[in-house]
Amino acid sequence: MQIELKRIHKHFGKVHANKDINLLIPSGAIQGILGENGAGKSTLMKILSGFIQADSGSEIILDGKRITIDSPADAIRFGIGMLHQDPLDFPPMRLVDNFLLGLPGGLLLNHKKAMQDFAALAREFGFALDPESYVDTLTVGERQQLEIMRLLFLGARVLILDEPTTGISAAQKEKLFATLKKLSAQSITVIFVSHKLEDVENLCGRAAVLRGGELVGELQAPYETLKFVELMFGKVVTLGEKQSLAQEALTLSLNNVALEDARIKIKHVNLDVRAGEVIGLAGMEGSGQDLFMRACAGLARTVGGRIQFKGQNLTGKSYHTFKRHGVNFLPAARLEEALVPGLNLMEHFILAEHPSGIFIDQPAGEKLAAERIQSFNIRGGPLSNIESLSGGNQQRAELALLQTPLDLILLEHPTRGLDIESVIYIWGKLKERCQQGASIIFISSDLDEILQYSDRILVFFAGQVSNPIEASQTSVEQLGQLIGGKGWADA
Amino acid sequence: MLKARLKNLAFQLAALILAFGAVSIILISAGASPWEAYKNMFLGSFGSVRKFAEVLVAFVPLLLVTAGLLVTFSAGLWNIGVEGQVVMGAIVTTWVYRLFLESGWNPALIIVLAILGGMVGGAIWAALTGLLKTFGGVNEIFGGLGMNFVATAWTIYLIFGPWKRPGVASMSGTEPFPDEFSLPLLANLRLSPWALALGLIAIVIIYFLLQGTYFGLRLKAVGKNFRAAYLLGIPTWRYSLYSFLICGALAGAAGAVQVAAVYHRLLPSISSGYGYLGLMVAMLINYQAIWAVPVALLFAALNIGSIQLPIVMKLDSSLSGVLQGALVLFVLLMEGARQKLIKRAS
Amino acid sequence: MRKNFARFAMFAMALMLALSACGQPAATQAPATSAPANEPFVFGMLYVGPYNDNGWSQAQYEGGLYVEKQLGAKMLYLDKVNPADRPGTTPDQLAEELVAKGAKLIIFSSDDMKDGANAFAKAHPDINVIMTSGDQVWADGKNYTATPNMTNIMGRMEYGKMIAGCASALSSKTGQIGYLGPLINDETRRLAASAYLGAKYCWEKAGKNAADLKFKVDWVGFWFHIPGTTTDPVQISDNFYTTGYDVVISGIDNPVNLGEAQKQTAEGTPSFGLAYDYVAACEAAPDVCLGTPYFNWGPEYTKAIASAQDGSWKSQFIWLGPDWSNINNLDTSLVGFENGPALSADAATAVKSFIAELAGGLNLWTGPLNLQDGSAYLKDGEVATDQQVWYLPQLLEGMEGLSASK
Repeated sequence: MQIELKRIHKHFGKVHANKDINLLIPSGAIQGILGENGAGKSTLMKILSGFIQADSGSEIILDGKRITIDSPADAIRFGIGMLHQDPLDFPPMRLVDNFLLGLPGGLLLNHKKAMQDFAALAREFGFALDPESYVDTLTVGERQQLEIMRLLFLGARVLILDEPTTGISAAQKEKLFATLKKLSAQSITVIFVSHKLEDVENLCGRAAVLRGGELVGELQAPYETLKFVELMFGKVVTLGEKQSLAQEALTLSLNNVALEDARIKIKHVNLDVRAGEVIGLAGMEGSGQDLFMRACAGLARTVGGRIQFKGQNLTGKSYHTFKRHGVNFLPAARLEEALVPGLNLMEHFILAEHPSGIFIDQPAGEKLAAERIQSFNIRGGPLSNIESLSGGNQQRAELALLQTPLDLILLEHPTRGLDIESVIYIWGKLKERCQQGASIIFISSDLDEILQYSDRILVFFAGQVSNPIEASQTSVEQLGQLIGGKGWADA
Repeated sequence: MLKARLKNLAFQLAALILAFGAVSIILISAGASPWEAYKNMFLGSFGSVRKFAEVLVAFVPLLLVTAGLLVTFSAGLWNIGVEGQVVMGAIVTTWVYRLFLESGWNPALIIVLAILGGMVGGAIWAALTGLLKTFGGVNEIFGGLGMNFVATAWTIYLIFGPWKRPGVASMSGTEPFPDEFSLPLLANLRLSPWALALGLIAIVIIYFLLQGTYFGLRLKAVGKNFRAAYLLGIPTWRYSLYSFLICGALAGAAGAVQVAAVYHRLLPSISSGYGYLGLMVAMLINYQAIWAVPVALLFAALNIGSIQLPIVMKLDSSLSGVLQGALVLFVLLMEGARQKLIKRAS
Repeated sequence: MRKNFARFAMFAMALMLALSACGQPAATQAPATSAPANEPFVFGMLYVGPYNDNGWSQAQYEGGLYVEKQLGAKMLYLDKVNPADRPGTTPDQLAEELVAKGAKLIIFSSDDMKDGANAFAKAHPDINVIMTSGDQVWADGKNYTATPNMTNIMGRMEYGKMIAGCASALSSKTGQIGYLGPLINDETRRLAASAYLGAKYCWEKAGKNAADLKFKVDWVGFWFHIPGTTTDPVQISDNFYTTGYDVVISGIDNPVNLGEAQKQTAEGTPSFGLAYDYVAACEAAPDVCLGTPYFNWGPEYTKAIASAQDGSWKSQFIWLGPDWSNINNLDTSLVGFENGPALSADAATAVKSFIAELAGGLNLWTGPLNLQDGSAYLKDGEVATDQQVWYLPQLLEGMEGLSASK
């Protein structure tokens, strides 16, 4: 199916999110849409999938026919289906029921036929999904697979994927790419939205770059990476030189620690973390790294062993005790766990400062907020509500909330979903903390990030924990194998 | 900004019109003139100084309860148990009175002690619900409902048992206290200026507590995102408990006022349903302290004004309850519609 | 935010101002001067239950209608005056509402309004008050307070209850009679005791052994059922009927026992009930109703209101028995007894002769009588004084049930 976008404009109040975008996507193409956060990618895709409507004058032409898309249901009728960053499924539901959702037609569901269709589609793409299992047991990658199947089943001829490689493992990514290529061969048009250059380079035959709401360039494979970066940011950005800031003094030391939750058991973890050192935790989601990290913050109970922090035994103490000793934990779910929707930036900074006194000192709070906003380059004012900020700005705000002084920072996916400029900025800030003697432990599903920024790496696989691996002596390939459960004999 | 505000106002106005419209339809189907009914209710609450004073008598406990609920709502808690906290305030106030009635102490001192006792009683009752929640994992809605039941049962036990009038077992209540133990009333009226001052001071304090203090800010953080508040270093369960204590103390004060200024004794229905009515007020004002005074006054006026309906029009007074319920319902409905519209527009 | 607060503060100030205005001595009460002669005299009544409760409140309401007819006066009323139905209000406050609508005299028609009536009478010396069933202005009573604008009116229902007790004893097959008591106080004790005395008298007169008669009182907790607060009188009646009590005498404001008697009868156990308070109360379930002792308030209210109208008002304590020439004369008798359709012809004859005996001076409140705990109440041959009857401290020996709450 060929899609032509003509003169697409979209205003949100004063913000001009899409400015005169003209783009032709041929049938069966894998079209990359690149841009940093806030470039207007998501807006454009939401217009195409019917979640929002473009300003009048904009035109969407499908196989030469001008159409109006008023709702996602409309879009799917025209054959356009969209996969969101967080797949919009309904967790406590069986796969097959989820699969049938949105199916037009009678009240009676033909359950048997649905099972057959499900099995046929799963076989075709090599997805190992059990139609009788429940959606909430799936990993992010499996949910994507389910969502792709569902959209195809509903008759989608155009698939839009919004940041699909966020939060899935390398193996799942490969499978996803293979699936998309297969779809393209069946002349299904794929629109792949991402801020990751590498993914676009590997997958897409053509790419369009958005910046500040405008289409700034279209490229064809093979690509020149620098050209991409320049288009995306309007300037050339490079990663900094890797350097270790590890010092002699010990901050955290784990002695034979054992952990347990409903899903996973971890035994015999020994680790000494030095001041200024960065430890990366790798592994597929749910392999135990999140439990491990929460235990290091006093948020999960240990069932054995000792946790010492700067010589003091903090085993079994609460997070607030850890926090008083200089440990901060930044969870990945920003608006769910880290920030308080409904409160503004200033209020967050005040809360994090734990001021004494009774009455809020408004001028002091505003001054504090203005300072932090400036030094962390947050786009927003002291009175901006936190949920109105973009993801990258929320992430920077989280960092700005870290207390000073600080000896250990625990981060879950610190740069997930952020563009490269934000990633570099955030790691710059974190390294400053290392220089001041703070240690960092972080979880990431991006192996390049782990290799780039860690001194040592722990790999998790189904509750097993590797010995610390020197980052300088390993590679994406070795880590990938360990994550997948291979090569554990020597690790 | 101004436009958004006008739009909000339009929605609220629409809710008001819809609520009155719905009740009018009920009235017409009952063969009564809505205009007459509303007119009588208005005159019945604002028609004379005495009537307005009666409105204020109902307004004070309602305002106290609402002030308390603003605190628990800010902390994200549904303190349904507020009704029981009012009752418990009344019980403890009565108890303190009975302790000191014969002591010969200055009545003013005893009144103050009784009201403070009522506040402590309400606070303790609320704290029990809070402890059930934090340590027993019992949702405060269920816990609160249970505690309401217990408080009412306890009142009835006391009235029929240890505190009964000599030779009498009736739910008419305990023996009234002598006049000098009443909060001083205005001449020829049943309104106590002290009670009114208590209510107004309470709402002003709660307004500042929620808007201008670190305590209020932390409470709001706990209410809006419990997990994040904990990670930000706020001792969340302690703040939940504080909010229960404050709400309970204010609800207890409402119960104390009912005893010390209105009924001068303990009755089975001493709370007069102000706890539940306060929940409605708090929902209607969307938890903003600034609106507590006018809306609580409106609800009190509806309660008092509706007395005219059976006298003049032979209609049931429960119409005021229908109107209050319709108001809450339509305001919530319109708020939902408004947010949907905003979402659509963006 | 600041602006909001300014608005808030202004509102609070406005309230304060209104308050200080309230503090000024209230403007003189609504025209107290006598209205032009052609305008009807307005009186107000407060009923504790619904005006159509088929019991106490309805009898009050009919009494009011009678006054309207006799005097050409106009009645204003408010029913369901109790804290459960009208939360947040007090009887004195509600009486003031009636005064505001023009009432020149208020009838507080329930014992439950005693405190409110006292407060109202004190606060409004210019408005006359009838406190029904009260003893506040009984000079020989225990609770006397001189209150010139108050009159107490009560019927000697002791007679009505004796007749009811007699009818029960004559109709019961099992010899077990239940009494559905409201709350416990002086009035309810003496009425339950009267029913017992009447039952015992007629039981023995029919030649049966006194030891075979069981008479049990069970209390509801109020004059009628308030869900969640009082015991359910339907439940109590049901308990009586299913445990061998085949007659239940109602002492509460609406005769819910009749419905239960009907149910029992339909299930094959013939059961009976007696209603109370309102002349036509048997109509709720005529086939099981043995009769109704009732109040007929009209004539006494008419006299009292007429005296208020013509200026001859005097504070009085009125406690009147039936007009023995015809206890069912609705123009003269304050207390009556209406036979029910379920009363057999024989029993009706016996009841009639019992009434004749009472009219002839039979006084069942004559010793020897002991209180429930066995202590002496009346010596042999001693006749109870009015005070002894009114303030009966316990139930009598031979009666089961609580004399006071535990």
